[in-house]
Amino acid sequence: MIDAVPLLERVLTPAVLAPLLYPGLATALVTVLLVIWLERKIAARVQMRVGPYYVAPRVHGALQLVADGMRFFFQEVIVPLTAGRGFLLAPALALAFTAAAFAVIPGGPGVVGFKTDYSLLVALAALSLTPPLVLLMGWASNNKFAVLGSAREALLTASYEPLLFMSALAAAVMYGTLDLVAAVEAQARLGVVGLALNPLAALLFFVAMMAATDRIPFDIVMGEQEIVHGPYTEYSGVAYGVVMGLDYVKLYALSLLYANLFLGGWLPFNDPLAGSLVLYVKALAVMAAAVFLRGVYGRLRLDHALDALWSKLFPLAVVSILVSALIAYYLGG
Amino acid sequence: MSAVGEAERRRAPNPVRAHLEAIAAALSRALKPPMTLMYPDVVEELPEGYRGVIAYRYERCVGCGLCARICPARAIKMYKVPGDKRMRPGYDMTRCIFCGFCVDVCPVNALEHTKIHDKAYYELDSMVLDPVEWAEFSRRLIEEQSARSRSPNLVRAVFDEEVGLRYERLRRS
Repeated sequence: MIDAVPLLERVLTPAVLAPLLYPGLATALVTVLLVIWLERKIAARVQMRVGPYYVAPRVHGALQLVADGMRFFFQEVIVPLTAGRGFLLAPALALAFTAAAFAVIPGGPGVVGFKTDYSLLVALAALSLTPPLVLLMGWASNNKFAVLGSAREALLTASYEPLLFMSALAAAVMYGTLDLVAAVEAQARLGVVGLALNPLAALLFFVAMMAATDRIPFDIVMGEQEIVHGPYTEYSGVAYGVVMGLDYVKLYALSLLYANLFLGGWLPFNDPLAGSLVLYVKALAVMAAAVFLRGVYGRLRLDHALDALWSKLFPLAVVSILVSALIAYYLGG
Repeated sequence: MSAVGEAERRRAPNPVRAHLEAIAAALSRALKPPMTLMYPDVVEELPEGYRGVIAYRYERCVGCGLCARICPARAIKMYKVPGDKRMRPGYDMTRCIFCGFCVDVCPVNALEHTKIHDKAYYELDSMVLDPVEWAEFSRRLIEEQSARSRSPNLVRAVFDEEVGLRYERLRRS
């Protein structure tokens, strides 16, 4: 008989638990439910409505998303006869890549799945693997709306990813490291959070994050009034739940990155529990700000978005790297 | 640079300021109370003369048939009632347009508007009432109306310059 304990010790390592429990999938699931509810509530309040209410009126409809999720689970997954290969594989893989990012994103002081000096790079790389899978979803759906959505995703990805990486690079230059844990420690050492040091990079990262997660005003890929639901048009049941949740999981991952890079991570606490909680609340605040903008903006036209991202924000990103270099020169030297 | 382009440029708002103004506008709206009437949970206080479902008092009716003549939607028909010499009006709620002509024309005030309009039925047939059924239905309707006016969840619409309409609770529970 195989001794179970050493086996468990091998399996239940931080490298497995971090992507699965905290800050990974289990927490992400709860966060997605919370954030979508928050999004609907905030959008409702901006429009002077009440929003979801009658599922659990006592908690103002907070269980609405649990009800929706249950509906997705029990709904039939319909795969169109004309669907190509990878129709169901793509959403699953995309979710897996997003979850892989959680292995390197610190969820608190010492709460790191896989310690590496390049965690920022690894996390962004894992997250940037999802757009090609969205292209695959659109292609496999074999539907004109889906293909149009995929084309939009391709154009948009090529525009926001440089911005995302450049603003992350600005933060990395500022702290002189590509490690997220070291970035938070650098902020502790300097005594200032990244947002105050380089607000330009923080703003650009936020904008790129909005574009990366299809938030309004960058929800061009889904464009409900124009192309039904873009690359996700043909998905139903639990597959729809996954593709819809995907952007929110990505938003959660990027918000954690944002909180670590620009909001001081788990500071001012160094205790694993309190630190994790503070980091989570900071990420939640970033997500609330991201979903609040739904009530402010309309959808940008594709060419306007590309123009803004390339010709206005990209030069600003270059400037933000220079600013970071100056900051690093004066504070580090 | 053409003159039109120059004018456009001058009229275009400063982008940073425009973004901040838009966000501030959304924030200030979000802080105001919602203008939703929480419909089945609360009862809205309705004004006098509200044109709801029409109630009929058999004991006042003289059977003149003016209501059946004037009804533009042919919602009121005269029926023979066993044991009664005169014909009496019956009511077809599927046809009624709540215009109130019958209420105005009735010489003995046997017809009146209630403040109730939200009635739902499983079958169309149960919305067509003969005189006796209508009288019985009206008695229950008037009871329901007075019960609603005593409800602890009574709200009143108030005109608010900021949000338009606002609903205020009349009684604190």
